Amino acid sequence: MSIRPPDMNPGADAALEPAAPPRRTPAKSLWGRALQRFAGDRAAMAGLFIVAVFFVIAVGVWLGWWGTQWSQTGAGQWLGPSTEHWFGTTILGQDIFQRAIFSTRTAFEIGLVVALASTVLGALFGALSGYFAQTFIDGVILWIKGVLDSIPFYLFVAAVAFALKGNPWAMHIAMIATFWTTTARLVRGEVIKLKNLEFVEAARALGLHPLVIIVRHIVPNTFHILLVQATIVFVAAIKSEVILSFLGLGIADGVSWGLMIAESTTEVMAGHYMNFIVASSFLFVLVMGFNLFSDGLQDALDPKRASR
Amino acid sequence: MSRPLLEVRSLSKHFPVRAGLFSRTRAVLRAVDQVSFSLQPGQTFGLVGESGCGKSTLGRAILRLHEPTSGSVRLDGRELTTLDSRQLKAARKDMQIIFQDPYAALSPRRTVARILREPLDLHRIGAPASRDRRVAELLDVVGLSIDARHRYPHEFSGGQRQRIGIARALAVEPRLIVADEAVSALDVSVQSQVLNLMADLQREFGVAFLFIAHDLAVVQHVSHHVGVMYLGQLVETSSVERIYSMPAHPYTRALLDAVPAPDPGRRADRLVLEGEVPSPIDPPDGCAFHTRCPRAMPVCRRLEPRTIDIGTNEQHLVRCHLHDPGVESA
Amino acid sequence: MSIVQNNDSPLLSVENLSVDFSTEAGCVRAVDDVSFQVRPGQTLGIVGESGCGKSVTSLAIMGLLPHPAGRIAAGAVRLRLDGPDSVDLAGLPERRMRRLRGAELSMIFQEPMTALNPVFTVGSQMVDILARHERLSRRQARDRAIEMLARVGIPLPQKRIDEYPHELSGGMRQRVMIAMALSCRPGLLIADEPTTALDVTTQAQVLEQIVELQREMGMAVILITHDLGVIAETCDEALVMYCGRVVEQAPVDALFRAPRHRYTQGLIEAIPRIRRRRLERLPVIPGMVPDLSALPPGCRFSARCGHASDRCRAEQPALESHGASRVACFHPADPT
Repeated sequence: MSIRPPDMNPGADAALEPAAPPRRTPAKSLWGRALQRFAGDRAAMAGLFIVAVFFVIAVGVWLGWWGTQWSQTGAGQWLGPSTEHWFGTTILGQDIFQRAIFSTRTAFEIGLVVALASTVLGALFGALSGYFAQTFIDGVILWIKGVLDSIPFYLFVAAVAFALKGNPWAMHIAMIATFWTTTARLVRGEVIKLKNLEFVEAARALGLHPLVIIVRHIVPNTFHILLVQATIVFVAAIKSEVILSFLGLGIADGVSWGLMIAESTTEVMAGHYMNFIVASSFLFVLVMGFNLFSDGLQDALDPKRASR
Repeated sequence: MSRPLLEVRSLSKHFPVRAGLFSRTRAVLRAVDQVSFSLQPGQTFGLVGESGCGKSTLGRAILRLHEPTSGSVRLDGRELTTLDSRQLKAARKDMQIIFQDPYAALSPRRTVARILREPLDLHRIGAPASRDRRVAELLDVVGLSIDARHRYPHEFSGGQRQRIGIARALAVEPRLIVADEAVSALDVSVQSQVLNLMADLQREFGVAFLFIAHDLAVVQHVSHHVGVMYLGQLVETSSVERIYSMPAHPYTRALLDAVPAPDPGRRADRLVLEGEVPSPIDPPDGCAFHTRCPRAMPVCRRLEPRTIDIGTNEQHLVRCHLHDPGVESA
Repeated sequence: MSIVQNNDSPLLSVENLSVDFSTEAGCVRAVDDVSFQVRPGQTLGIVGESGCGKSVTSLAIMGLLPHPAGRIAAGAVRLRLDGPDSVDLAGLPERRMRRLRGAELSMIFQEPMTALNPVFTVGSQMVDILARHERLSRRQARDRAIEMLARVGIPLPQKRIDEYPHELSGGMRQRVMIAMALSCRPGLLIADEPTTALDVTTQAQVLEQIVELQREMGMAVILITHDLGVIAETCDEALVMYCGRVVEQAPVDALFRAPRHRYTQGLIEAIPRIRRRRLERLPVIPGMVPDLSALPPGCRFSARCGHASDRCRAEQPALESHGASRVACFHPADPT
């Protein structure tokens, strides 16, 4: 078939006259529009700022710029805040400030690893489950999800930690194994909606393989859900770590806010609050900031406003 | 008479209606029931009917987007219903579909260029290096400028998106395009542009259309032959001239009467059908239309009508006891 | 009961109405300086394509603009109540507007499934309205509701009244909506694309119903649609809107026999209609409806008009009388 433009209505090309630019130009791509909306949301920007500050702190620790003396003991027990030890010392004479700073890196590590892995798993299983809804594949995945959901979280983590005794990733694995289910459930619902839309039918009519359709056409339209879920899981992971550390199932080497809070239970009895206050405050501010960021992200990515 | 491009024989598509905790099949929804018709190459067959009549399901069953329950579909002599998945994928090059909703028909997060390249890459059309040029040619053919390539679907109007959908369907050089209510969601002034485009493409490339619509005026404009559907069955089939000037089935007559004409002279002096369309899960006995037919006879309640050819120099098929010489019209 | 007796003076008078919307692209004027009147017993059609502002106009009249995105920027909407006094709906507080809605003016929408609450029976929704506006007891309200359902042609109304919206077909749901809208006998009914979502045979039934009810109750009807066929069949007079402005207003006979504005002409010619013989190509209005946030100066149709002059591109034409019609055009078509 040789393609030569047929005798078209001369006016038809006027169909694509770009209109004169409107007063405030909305960005072209869907992401660009979302970015504009996000930038206009003050609470969201505040959240982003807080998260960014903490992120910089974490990177600095990782690169060895600060927080390196978190484990150094011997400075003198329970010293108050001073120029040498900004927040004072713990029962072992460790600098509280250094420990809090180092814990930022721990928090981000846990948060990022768990968020990334559980989002990927959730997207994968959710998409398969949704596209093949009401079939055997869906049945199997739903069954696995159901089983995992019905095991109480901390029991499950304890079991995994015990089974993987000594493995530094035990806690991460336990968290990933439970957090992916929520993402999968949300993705499944969205995919069930998407697969009935005409552009998916068009892809089938072309002859595309179902897996190609899922990866190329369907999953990209769930990114708004995945992004928001990832931030929620990040926060959940950090918070869970606090309790796990409290239960002694937390990280093995290094320090985290959870560990600091756990240690401080005895100290608080003796009237020394700095450890507890500092760790809780850092945790609180980061979680708060992340929540604002996450809410802002959700509003900005709302697809009902993102298209058309 | 050359061989038809598309031959549909006794095609049926049934959906089981599940109910109850253990998914026992309670009843069967006969969405498409023993439909037969043919389409000549380079022509347009208009499939018309109201919502729930099964026309969209029929279009998809022909393309095997729904798997037919029974019956045969031959495209260019080749039986489609028995192809395996590899053969089916190859056959898809010959038949494509364009949809009603221009807002849902294009992947929201892909650029136009990628949307149009996908069929070319999938079916390996032309050398890879030439495919970008081919995308530009396709855009030109449907009347869009070449800058459209790097834009996203949401930046275009409904009519423009429909053009992109048509370009996507054309990319594989199909012999048959199923147009499922392709202009129903468009504004009137854009509708006529897109209809003219489709006519041009048919003239230029010889592509045949199965034009599914509920708008009788549009169907008259684009079709060579027309089939009228009611509750999953084809009740009347003929050339467009005969259907519109000498409708034989009472339902066709009622449909034609019901269309509001932009002519103030003709007001409310027409036959308005009583009643509602029955549920396709529980269709009436005998002729499916008898509950609303102004000319129903006692036999219509008991017996399903046969398909009779009442045409003289051309085929005019009707499923109606009124035209069946073997039935006493008492 | 609010059917006004004096049939000469207008029931509704829209004067220089303008409606603004704030969007991502800034402030957009969806309705620009629109004026028209409706008399009791008259059916006025408002016709136009998507984005022309016809629905927004009706929402503005009813006080149902989305808040805070939409607002009436200018103009008045005068509704005549019992007697010679009229009230300007544009400035009314919501509290007062609520008392008028349903009782004096009513609206029906395109999608009956979303306009009816799916978790309540048909009856409970109707009785609710009647009890509130007409202060009837529940027993009396129920009887009146059954009567109304029968009036709109629903068979076995005493059974249907206890059914849920999803148990009814599209045509029936639309009729229920009409019954609800008319149950308090308002003087004005606004019908926004009431039959667009229905099949053509059902559409014919519902339109017939509306026309009959109007005759019986003597109310005024504003019928909004993009379908010129519906206008021809049901309306006395029609307004054609384009990009938020009225471009032509005429009695329906004059509008179809001798359309003056080039857009109206193009629209009438471009509609596929059942003809005696087929056309090779459909006449087309070239180009596209401009984006409301980026309108050209001068006449908004000038870019697509085959008769546009420099004056058209620079200046906006005002509505002027040409015989029985009013047209906003510097070069309207000849009546011959």
